[in-house]
Amino acid sequence: MSTRTGRLRQAVASRTGTGLLLPLLLFDLLVFVVPFGYLLRISLSERSTGAYVEGTWSVEGYTYLLEPSNTISETFLFTLGFGVVVTVVSVTIATLYAHAMWRADGPLRIVLTAGALVSMFTAIVVKLFAALLVYSPDGVLNGLLVSLGLVSEPLRLVNNGVGAVIGQLYIVVPYSILAVYAVLSTVDESLLEAARDLGASSPRAFLEVAVPHAVPGMLVAGVISFTWSIGSYAAPLLLGSGSERTNGVLVSDLLLREFDWPAAAALAVVVTATVLGGLVVVRLVLSRREVTASG
Amino acid sequence: MGDDTETGATRTDGGVAADTDRTGTQGRDWNLVTRASTAGYRLAYLSVFVFLLAPVVVVAATSLSDANTVAFPPSGLSLRWYGALLASGPWIEATRNSLLIATGTALLSTTLGVAGALGTRKLDGKLADFVTGIAVVPLLVPGVVLGVTLLIFFSEFGLQQEPATIVLAHSLWATPLTYSVMRATFSRYDWHVRDAALDLGASRLRAFREVVAPNVAAGLAAATLIAFVVSLQEFVMTLFLSGRGSRTVPVKAWNSLRNSLDPLVSVTSTLLVVVVLLVLLAAGVAVGLDRVARDAG
Repeated sequence: MSTRTGRLRQAVASRTGTGLLLPLLLFDLLVFVVPFGYLLRISLSERSTGAYVEGTWSVEGYTYLLEPSNTISETFLFTLGFGVVVTVVSVTIATLYAHAMWRADGPLRIVLTAGALVSMFTAIVVKLFAALLVYSPDGVLNGLLVSLGLVSEPLRLVNNGVGAVIGQLYIVVPYSILAVYAVLSTVDESLLEAARDLGASSPRAFLEVAVPHAVPGMLVAGVISFTWSIGSYAAPLLLGSGSERTNGVLVSDLLLREFDWPAAAALAVVVTATVLGGLVVVRLVLSRREVTASG
Repeated sequence: MGDDTETGATRTDGGVAADTDRTGTQGRDWNLVTRASTAGYRLAYLSVFVFLLAPVVVVAATSLSDANTVAFPPSGLSLRWYGALLASGPWIEATRNSLLIATGTALLSTTLGVAGALGTRKLDGKLADFVTGIAVVPLLVPGVVLGVTLLIFFSEFGLQQEPATIVLAHSLWATPLTYSVMRATFSRYDWHVRDAALDLGASRLRAFREVVAPNVAAGLAAATLIAFVVSLQEFVMTLFLSGRGSRTVPVKAWNSLRNSLDPLVSVTSTLLVVVVLLVLLAAGVAVGLDRVARDAG
């Protein structure tokens, strides 16, 4: 035992400065790990009409999630579908935009970069409020479309699934753009010039040269879009209707309206597990890609 | 978006110049197709640009309206709602809370990020990856889950509406970012300079303060500003963790929004965007816009 601690002390001493990790690890332990342990414990308590029954053990919270009498499993599936739609749209337009950013030079590059950064650094609540002003039936976009005679009556773009997706896109697209751009910016630009010199059009150069290089960035963009969408709360609440309830909205309702803490905690645990599980899968896929690439 | 053939054909693009060498009808058709698709591509990314920025422009415009309701385009321009904001007690209080919490978050998460990044520097690959994983995970957990978790946990101690609790919550998201920025910054720094200072007899703290810090000042500033901005904007966790006395500007805006479209929300939103842009500009000047874009991604 004493030799082990001695060896440990030696190992620590040989890495002077490692002690600087302590504040960070302590912080994550106290504000993240312990509260999550607490949540896990409550998810395993008996349900009651007021919060939860202290000191009891039960899986009621989890079985309640699966009961057909409530719509929780439907909500869960809806949220997954919502996440897939948002992810596909987000990665597509982010790749396109990041590619344009990368290809442009001079003022255009600055303007496009600034566009992504301004949107990214605009508070979510501001973006959602703004989206309401732009996409509502008497909003700016519909006003424009109707006055141009392109549509006879306003398009329904808020208070439904479309609105929830639009709102969520405002949250995830800027981050997706920068994730793809971060990867593209490490690619040698002469590659693309070579493709163009060989006669490839911009779209072909985009699809056949840039996209394959952008794949790791697109994966990161996909992970960001998907994980944030299945935990989404604000966008579906403000721009969706009552039928666009996501897991996030449901967790909040279960906790604050129905005071069903074990069920709320259980759903929060399941959502977190889904997010982290998805991440692990993507990491495995990525590392396998690396292995095949090197082998 | 890609079907805009007529307008597409009239545009020019240097990128397809190679195609003009071709002759004959087939070449001209090919040229037309190429130009059309290039134009479609351009139209597509410009649409995304407009999609991203239009809302911000609309909000800023409505904040300058002289009408009693939120309308675009505004019928007349005035600063009356900016005046009304200055006279509104709850909004002033929310602003004070926001600045207080953002400052606390910037200080805490930059300290944790700097120390953590320095501590990780000496670790070998696997262990460093592990620590980085731990440091970054909170950023990947949905805000509503974190908000609910921290609400349940801190209410056990009666701390659920304290500004300090909100600082801790925001730091959970800000610290992974300050940590990543500082790791990138330190990896670019030439540590031999510090070793020289140590050899010359400087203490570790003095060597850091006088030799390392000035050289990583840009990264340090960027990390602090990013943490400040993250806190200033966050509202889902704050929604669960704030009470009457600790509401921040985004939470106050959200609460107003749930009732009706309030011109004061346009004003505070615009101010929030302007403040963030100024901060971003400062960070951009400090480290270069391109690097902000790459580090953030």
